[in-house]
Amino acid sequence: MRRLVYLTVLAGLWGGAIFLKLFSLQVLHHQQYARMARGRQELRIEIPAPRGTIFDRDGQPLAMSVPAESVFIDPRKVDLEVASGLLAGVLHLDRAQLYGSMKQALENHRGFLWIKRKISPQEAANLRALHLRWIAFQRESERHYPNGPLAAHVLGSVDFEERGNAGIEKSMDAVLRGEPGRIRLLTDVKRRGIESQLVSEARPGSSLTLTIDERVQFMAERDIAAAVEEHHAVSGSVVAMNPYTGDILALASYPTYDPNKGPRPGENRLARMNHAVSVPFEPGSVYKVITLSAALETTPLTPDSLINCHGGVLRLPGRVIHDSHSGLGLIPMAIVLAKSSNIGAIMIGMQVGQQNMYRYMRAFGFGQRTGIQLPAESPGKVRKLEYWGKTSLASVSMGQEVSVTTVQLAQAASVIANGGMLVRPRLILKKGDRPVPPAQPVRVVRPETAITMRQMMEGVVLFGTGRRAKVAGYSVGGKTGSAQIFDTAIGHYTHTYNGTFMGIAPLTNPAIVAVVTLNGTHGEGGFGGVAAAPVFQVVAGEALRVLDVPKDLPEPESPPKTLVAKNEDMDDLSIADLGSNQPNILEEGENEDGGQGPGASGQGVEVRSASSQSPVVPNFRGMTMRAVLTEAAEKGITILPDGSGVARLQDPPPGSALHPGERIRVRFAR
Amino acid sequence: MATLPAFARSNEAPVAIPRPQRDPFGLRSLPYEDVFFYCKRIDNSRLVREPDPKAPNACWSAVGVASVILALLLGVLAPNVASTLSGYRLESLRSEQRQLLDERRTLELQEAELLSPARLDQLAKDQDMVAPSAGQVVHLERGADGAVAMVK
Repeated sequence: MRRLVYLTVLAGLWGGAIFLKLFSLQVLHHQQYARMARGRQELRIEIPAPRGTIFDRDGQPLAMSVPAESVFIDPRKVDLEVASGLLAGVLHLDRAQLYGSMKQALENHRGFLWIKRKISPQEAANLRALHLRWIAFQRESERHYPNGPLAAHVLGSVDFEERGNAGIEKSMDAVLRGEPGRIRLLTDVKRRGIESQLVSEARPGSSLTLTIDERVQFMAERDIAAAVEEHHAVSGSVVAMNPYTGDILALASYPTYDPNKGPRPGENRLARMNHAVSVPFEPGSVYKVITLSAALETTPLTPDSLINCHGGVLRLPGRVIHDSHSGLGLIPMAIVLAKSSNIGAIMIGMQVGQQNMYRYMRAFGFGQRTGIQLPAESPGKVRKLEYWGKTSLASVSMGQEVSVTTVQLAQAASVIANGGMLVRPRLILKKGDRPVPPAQPVRVVRPETAITMRQMMEGVVLFGTGRRAKVAGYSVGGKTGSAQIFDTAIGHYTHTYNGTFMGIAPLTNPAIVAVVTLNGTHGEGGFGGVAAAPVFQVVAGEALRVLDVPKDLPEPESPPKTLVAKNEDMDDLSIADLGSNQPNILEEGENEDGGQGPGASGQGVEVRSASSQSPVVPNFRGMTMRAVLTEAAEKGITILPDGSGVARLQDPPPGSALHPGERIRVRFAR
Repeated sequence: MATLPAFARSNEAPVAIPRPQRDPFGLRSLPYEDVFFYCKRIDNSRLVREPDPKAPNACWSAVGVASVILALLLGVLAPNVASTLSGYRLESLRSEQRQLLDERRTLELQEAELLSPARLDQLAKDQDMVAPSAGQVVHLERGADGAVAMVK
């Protein structure tokens, strides 16, 4: 009996001990042991949520993120000598430096130390082949720009944590950035996954589709780079835009950089500046488009209205403005634009008046940001009316005392191209799969004003300062500008220029407006008509071909060539008096043709083949009917006119031999 | 030969029995000298088990019950085992899917790099190609059969 009692007590104690232990395990230390068990049985795996891809308008990736791995260790659990030697060898690191950082981390009792972040797949494979438990990997993501420097100023770049720090990457960071998710993976003793449980859902970044066309962008960057180098300019920019939707097809800035690489010591400080958006400049003569548009809207002036250019000298209150274009007297307003007469523009501006001029400056979008989705956009500078001086109106009329950006000029050109509506430029076509609608356009000028301006701008390209902008097969209108750069340090205008060309093509149904700017050009070769217009010709020509825009002119039999070697390219020069620190003292540039423009003389550009001395058919293209008839009468040629507007087609073609008694059929169109 | 009960009793504590008066000069008896063992032959060959008609049924019942229990056990355990095995397979496939997605992104990047306009431009130049001038691009019209190329 006593034995039985002993046995019972023993069993009771045993059971009690087991119960207490179970109570301790399951209740008192439940959390601790559960955590330990999870640590051994569970893996926490991050579900990648890569940053959104940026596409061009045709779906070509411009920026994308790919997975990458980073290596870290716990310095407290390794032999620093061995670890540093091993890791430095595999990861191509400096052993002494790595050892130093490991030692410092150990002294600071840190249990985590990055060894190298975003290693290459080959390095990761080499490390894994070592089968060392103390080498740990962290899954990360790395941003790549597969086209290198292409559209670098549009795309921008990201920092090491994939946060945008420039361009679209910065302005649309919240849209592009993803939130990685997490799962808990139950594993067996060999760390093989058995069951996973979602902890948090991954939210990948939304993709963006830009309005940029990769091909047009490439051409714009290639040609602006070549032009900057050729003309020894400091920088350059190109903006090509759809005038109806505001879609930016190309936005190039030079010098440029490769966003795949971070800033490096000694890098050109201008390379990361977006000159098309962030760097304003005095536009010079391209601004006359605004002056003349305001005149058409607010005054009775028409393209045929005669403007007195005062023979090259203009006296303003307290100032005499000299025009070295001697001989420019009364000329039509259309010729003022085509020949880029500064005094003519001033006279027109005087009729417009300060109030109207200021109103139209603002209406065309100057002095305010366009709202393009890029950081650090400059609003340019338009002084309030109360700060205008006595000669400010004169200066503004020809594009001085105002600063604009290239993208603002493209926006203003779109007003003329689309029939008078201000369309905000935009870069985002789609966010994810959702199209982004363009902003509501605002009317600035009447449609007839826009059409009249287009016709006058065509004259600039046909027989004015912008002849180098002609695009074969397409009608082109534009305006050149060559503004001297004001040196604030010495208080004078210098002999360096901002050469600009602002163009529209095709004029009959504009598909593209493009503005080319070269900053810091030197000499006559740096004027807008010489330096910028050829860039427009190439970019617009290629863009129209790429965009498959139908031609509105017959194909020329031979490539267009520079027909006249006159120095009319200099006509658009806005030169300030070098002896004054006032920014609005105007002086015309050289004009070797004695001011006898086509409108003044009624002459078109005559083509003579080098081998033939017999009379040839003149080129009437681009001339008004009156000018054609006048020239034909002077030369005794019989014309068969057809239609109205500007001469578009002629048969026989220009340059062919003119037989006695032969009649020329000329077709006019608007 | 002693019987087993006798043998067992011999191991029990001795019962107090009044001892007879010992002959002081007699020899002491040896322990268990009064016990004799012998072999008893028992012939069980004539014993035959009486046939029990219920025995096979009971046997089959036992087998059936065991089978049912086994089936129940398998029914309970099999899903768990299958679930575990499927878990292995599922996680393996998920891991493979993640790797394939990563690989696809890497390949997309490589494709984009290969189609870079700058690279294509350089390749074209290397092969003495030039950009088409105006009028050189001809857009073919689709024929009635949908073909854009003329086959002779």
